[in-house]
Parts: sequence; C-alpha cells; structure tokens
Amino acid sequence: MADVEFEKIKRPENIKLPFMLDFYPLEDEKNTRISQFFANLKKGRLTTTKCQQCSKSLWPPRIVCPNCLSDKLEWADLGVEGELYAFTETKLGAPLGFVQDAPFCIGIVKIGGLLISARIDNAKYEDLKIGEKVKLKIVELEDGRIFYRFRRIN
Amino acid sequence: MRKVAVIGGGATKCGKREATWRELVQEAGKAMFDNVDNISPKDVEALLVGAAQPERFAFQVHVAPMVAEHLGIIPRKVISTTELMCASGQAAIRYAWACIASGIADVAVAFGVEKMYMPDMAEAQTNMACVLDREWDGVNAMSAPPFFAMTAQRHMHEFGTTKEQMALVSVKNHHYSTMNPIAQFQKEVTLEKALQSPMVAPPLNLFDCSGITDGAAGVIMVPAEDAKKYTDSPMWITGSGQANIGNAINNLASFTEWVPLKMAVKEALRTAKISVNEIDIAELHDCFTISEIMEYEALGLCEKGRGGKFIEDGGPYIGGKIAVNPRGGLLGCGHPLGATAILQTFDILQQFRGEVPKGRHVKDGNVAVAHNLSGAANVHSLMVYARG
Repeated sequence: MADVEFEKIKRPENIKLPFMLDFYPLEDEKNTRISQFFANLKKGRLTTTKCQQCSKSLWPPRIVCPNCLSDKLEWADLGVEGELYAFTETKLGAPLGFVQDAPFCIGIVKIGGLLISARIDNAKYEDLKIGEKVKLKIVELEDGRIFYRFRRIN
Repeated sequence: MRKVAVIGGGATKCGKREATWRELVQEAGKAMFDNVDNISPKDVEALLVGAAQPERFAFQVHVAPMVAEHLGIIPRKVISTTELMCASGQAAIRYAWACIASGIADVAVAFGVEKMYMPDMAEAQTNMACVLDREWDGVNAMSAPPFFAMTAQRHMHEFGTTKEQMALVSVKNHHYSTMNPIAQFQKEVTLEKALQSPMVAPPLNLFDCSGITDGAAGVIMVPAEDAKKYTDSPMWITGSGQANIGNAINNLASFTEWVPLKMAVKEALRTAKISVNEIDIAELHDCFTISEIMEYEALGLCEKGRGGKFIEDGGPYIGGKIAVNPRGGLLGCGHPLGATAILQTFDILQQFRGEVPKGRHVKDGNVAVAHNLSGAANVHSLMVYARG
C-alpha cells in the first residue's frame, strides 16, 4: 500500500426531487402565462385556449395561435366528460416517479373536439373499451399543484 | 449540388455493454477509420454527432467535441451534435451529406452514439417520457411503449390487424439478427415465444418492443469524384426526404396513418428518381412491431390497413417483394438512439459490398432506403442509397 491518504466522504442521503425528474408543470403566474388553466382546473373546469381570430381550439393551451399567429386567445370550457379513443396499461417500464403506481392505465380521451392524453384511474385494461365514457378527475400534489386525469364512470 | 459517396464505416457491438459512453465512441471510431484506406482523423473537416440524450443518459453535453477529442479529429469546417431523438443519427447523416454536397467540406464524418444502460433503468424510462410534450403527455407517463401500444390498438380496431401479425415482425427481424454479429439479440424468437413474452403495455408484449441498447457507429463521406482514392466499392447517396407534423398527441395528423412518412417517402423517391418497386433493401424503423407494419403501408408496399397481411404472406422477407430489415432491425439489433441510423447505413454499405453473412445477404441489391421515425411517429426521415 502506497503512503497516501484515504478519506471516506459523504453525500446527502436524501435530496429534494430535482426539477428534471418532476413531470408536473410549474403552474403559477410567476412561472407561466397560462396559469389561468390551473386556476380553472382548481374550480373543477377543464379549459383550453381558443383563438378569437380563427376560432381554432388549441391544445395544449398557448399564448400564440399556431394556425394564424394571433395572440388574441380566450379560455373555453372543454366539459368534464370525454370518450376513450385509445388506451393501454403501463405494466413494465414506468418512468421514475411513476413506478410506484404501476400498473396503471393511460388513455387518449376525445373531449371538446380534442385528443388529450391522460391517466385513466379507477380502471384495469381488461375493463375498458374504445368509445367508453370517462369523467374528469383532478389530482393534487403534496405542494398544492394540481393536474387533470380521467376516471371510469362505472 | 455535388454527388456524395459513403466510403466506409465502423460500429461497436450493441447491447448491454460493460463500457462507458466515451469507450463506445473510441471503439466505433477506431473501427470506422480502420475500415477505410488512405484516410486519417486529421483529414476530417466536418463532424456531426447524432446523440439523442447524452445529457440524461451519460450526464454529458457538448458531446461532438468529446468525440473529436477522443478520435483525434480536428474539425475546421463544421462540428455539431444533432438531436432528433430516435432519428438523431440520421440527422447527423443528413448534415454530413449537406456539408459534402454543398462544398462546405471535402471529408465528413457522421457519427452516432448512445449509452442507455443506467444503474436504475427507471431513470432511462424517464428519459423516454420527455420526448412527446413533456408537460402535457410525459406527465401522464406517456413514453414510447404506451404511445405505440395505443397506435397498435387503433390499427387493430380499424383494420383488424392481429397480435400474431405483429409478432411475425419480431420473428423475422430476430431471425436476421442471429446472423448479425454486432446485434444485441442473437437468438431466434418463435411466434409462441413472442406472444408469450411478458406484457409491457397491452397489446404490446416484450418482443414487440426494441431494446434499451448501448452502441456507437460512424460513417465517412466524401464527394463522389474523390471516392476512388479510398475505395473501389463506395455507396452513393441518391435521395432523401423528411417531414414533420406536430409533436403533442393532439396535434398528430392521424394515429393510424403516418402522413409525414408518406410525405417523406414521396420526396425521397422524387429526389432519387425511382419508384418504390426499385428498392431492394429497406431498413425501416421497427422500434415496435406495429411501426414496421405501418411503414409497409406508408411506403406503398401494400394497401392501407393490409400491413399485417403483407408480412403474413412473406412480402418483407429476403426473396419476397422487398427485403425489410435484413440487418435484424431495431427489434433484433437493439436501438442505441443516436447510433441507430448510422448502424443501418453502415449495414447497407456492407450489403452492397457483400460483407454480410450469406443468410441475410440481399443478392444483387442495388438500391436501399434507410428510414427513421422519431417522437410520436410525427417526424419521418429517409435516405436513399445506391451501390457505387
């Protein structure tokens, strides 16, 4: 053994979930110009931006219409009930932060003329059918941020 | 525009490698330069490095200069990393091609590398979930398997495609990869084995999905008029096409018809001045079995909705209508994101040179396409190659 110093060093045992592993958007007005989406969601309303110039309903919510480049957008309700366009269940390969939820269903929901991806709660893959009605559900994170999901009605 | 030649290349063995990101670079780089006579790293004027997520998989950015340093390349015309997720390697090929075609550089390297195995594989899956719109799709854990599972579900729903037909794609590509010494998967997969493999995201089983893979590869390009200085068997780049519609799920043109692929195919055939019937080899991006089935349809190899029937009838096998993925595809070879397109291109060169094992050699193959999709199949990239 050579005559050199060996020292054990420590790193923190726990660290706060880094931003790079946090999939949920920063939703307040200090961080985004579409904070109204989340304010509406807090009241149980799923909304998106609609272009006042070309009338196109845009998803995700935006500040400029990609169809006509107008920045005159307004908030419009999508309703609270949608229809399953497609679905699957994540059994293997869930990302970090979602692993503990697996298996869980994910779907694409037709609502207000849009196709929105979402978690489908209260369901197993075998129970679901294309065209089935699903209802809006809102989840709240421990830090108060909120997000939408859908759930099986029956 | 100058005509461009691919004069050689090299690659690592792909799979779960006991090697770091930079070691993959060194292995593939040495193999590439060893493959070509009369060229040294100092001759390379342009270096493009396809790398999808080095900042997440290997915690390293500014990777093109890393590659240059490790291979002794001193780029003096163009150097950059190219990111287009699963098509990042093809982005490198396209820009290297443009550098030579435009006259900006006389020797260009298109390189690709991805180190995807991580100590915690859930972290690797996390990386795959920020490809679609991260805040609106990724947040729902929408990574590649669920997206392609739903694509498969819609294709089955609308056209009656079966799980057996999808599994046949896996059987075919694993058969060819048994004859590819650098492939990740070296064993035959039977239909039963494919259908009974663990469920990842229904209707997709494990063998419907390409693997997580470490690998690297590179090819060298020069103007066609210089090719004979380096090789008697160059490969010409004769056409290309690329198109994109949207990124988030709501903004795709269609779930069951890949409209941007049809656009890219049209442009690739137009620029190469060929019809689809003249293609002998098609390296198609089979990240999932359903992808290859939808690609038969978009290329016009069969009618829309009949992709499942096309493989059932033996259409995409060597000796069938067209040899699709005689390399072994992503399903058999693995899918080291940034390296995939380079691996396809190098294999096509080896096909033309007769350097691949007999059982997967396409005899008299003169024209090939290499295709990659990326994201929610909302970008499609194609290159057309011809035997020199």
